[in-house]
Amino acid sequence: MSVIKINDLVYTYPGASKPSIDGVSLTIEKGEFVLITGPSGCGKTSLCRTFNGLVPHFYKGDLSGQIIVADQDIMGEQTFDMAKHVGLVFQNPENQLFALSVEKDVAFGLENLGISREEMRKRVDWALNLTGIYDLRERSPHEISGGQQQRVTIAAVLAMQPKIIVLDEPTSFLDPLSAERIFEVIYKLNQEQGITVILVEHRLDLTAKYTNHLVVMDKGKICFEGNPRNILCNDEISQIGVGIPKATLLYKKLKADGFDISEQTPLSSDEFANQLLKVLANDYS
Amino acid sequence: MSVFDGLKFRKSFSPIHNLDPRIKFVYVIAVFISALLFSQILPLIILFLIQLPFVFLARVQKQWFRSLRGAAFLAGFIFAINIFTNFFFNNWSLTAFDVENALGMTMRFVVLIVSFSVFFLTTSPDHLGLALEQSHMPYEFAFAFTTAVRFVPVLAEEAQTIMDAQKARGLELEKGNILKRIRNYIPILIPLIVSAIRRSLELAEAMESRAWGAVKKRTNLYLLKLHKGDYVLIGITTFLLITTIYVRLFLFTYIPLVSNFF
Repeated sequence: MSVIKINDLVYTYPGASKPSIDGVSLTIEKGEFVLITGPSGCGKTSLCRTFNGLVPHFYKGDLSGQIIVADQDIMGEQTFDMAKHVGLVFQNPENQLFALSVEKDVAFGLENLGISREEMRKRVDWALNLTGIYDLRERSPHEISGGQQQRVTIAAVLAMQPKIIVLDEPTSFLDPLSAERIFEVIYKLNQEQGITVILVEHRLDLTAKYTNHLVVMDKGKICFEGNPRNILCNDEISQIGVGIPKATLLYKKLKADGFDISEQTPLSSDEFANQLLKVLANDYS
Repeated sequence: MSVFDGLKFRKSFSPIHNLDPRIKFVYVIAVFISALLFSQILPLIILFLIQLPFVFLARVQKQWFRSLRGAAFLAGFIFAINIFTNFFFNNWSLTAFDVENALGMTMRFVVLIVSFSVFFLTTSPDHLGLALEQSHMPYEFAFAFTTAVRFVPVLAEEAQTIMDAQKARGLELEKGNILKRIRNYIPILIPLIVSAIRRSLELAEAMESRAWGAVKKRTNLYLLKLHKGDYVLIGITTFLLITTIYVRLFLFTYIPLVSNFF
């Protein structure tokens, strides 16, 4: 069952001469972990904004094509109605937190929806626990680290219990370690809560292993879509600015030199290390 | 940076911090009114002394003293103006009564400063925003208030970064006469304003994505409830108001003047 269905989407920002999204069709199934990548300015962010109707309701501009998200046609829905189905997390965590305490921020969306206090309390605590920031609930957003702030924004959309969470480069302001922790939180939500996750990310090194639905965009179009193991060993992909995992690159190089380590293209260093160990063990025995 | 330090509220807990901000505000207004009812120094000194237990209960003596010191200049100014006008209109003569009158005016100012500073020192912006929300004010105002407080440290940090960046490119802030110095700040203000506008757009986007404006009647995670301490403060406030009004109406002429003892 698909939760997002996009048909022939073309979108131009007001005042722009070229469309930012140029003929995109995409289907996303329920419970999937989708990874979208591509060079800067390729239309990833604009695509994310269509999922809850920020494009075109907030940004205006010209849009043609059809976008169905959680059985709603976004053209006929307001962003605040879509917010119940789709949670958006943006790049800069600092600009997504408005309240003076973590807890109050997580409750912000629920307050807007007019949820009762008891229910709100339950959901806020649930979201705080799930993202591992329950202990920070009374701190001010200014006092906590960027990684923690980004977890607050994830908890904040999570509390609204959306079917889909869209994260637009959630770790670009974070160091690699905090980034990895964020990805683990997201992956856990996808696996344990069955929430559909759409992650926009440059760091494929850290994220390719989570997905089996990779979308590569360039110049407003989707140029590759499918299993990352097939896409990332394609030679054409290195022409577009995509950060291919180093393990995958090494695997390709070795393969070109005649060392076929494994049938499966590795997506992370750990995976590749295991494959190598296996080969080495076979050689010694 | 240090300019903004004073705006940052430090979280602490005390019986005074935990009081309902609405009641505290009513109390401050009551003190305000009481101070305006009297011009003699004795009742004003009593009003001043009444504030002290609050300061010590809240354990904010240090900050409180600092705000008092900050007001000292203005207080001195008020005193000087009063003395001077009395001196001027009384044909260049000054009585002990005039000095007491001037002192009374100064004391009145000090009482106002003290009560307000205790209020702001012991009320978190959080609490204040909540009080605004729950006193039937349109939510937009309360939201604007808390967001402003939330972004003060963020913008201060950004101003510092821009200042450092411009200095690194050779901008000299402390150079030239006063007009030149003001002009020097233009290369800092413009990027700051531009980035604040960009920030506000991102903020709006995030608000939209979290269902801003979905229902007419918002709910609230917290509910301000009156506790024992609040009722005690209501009692104190009522007592204070009744006493001062009674004294003002019926015993005003009996209030002793310190200058009469000399």
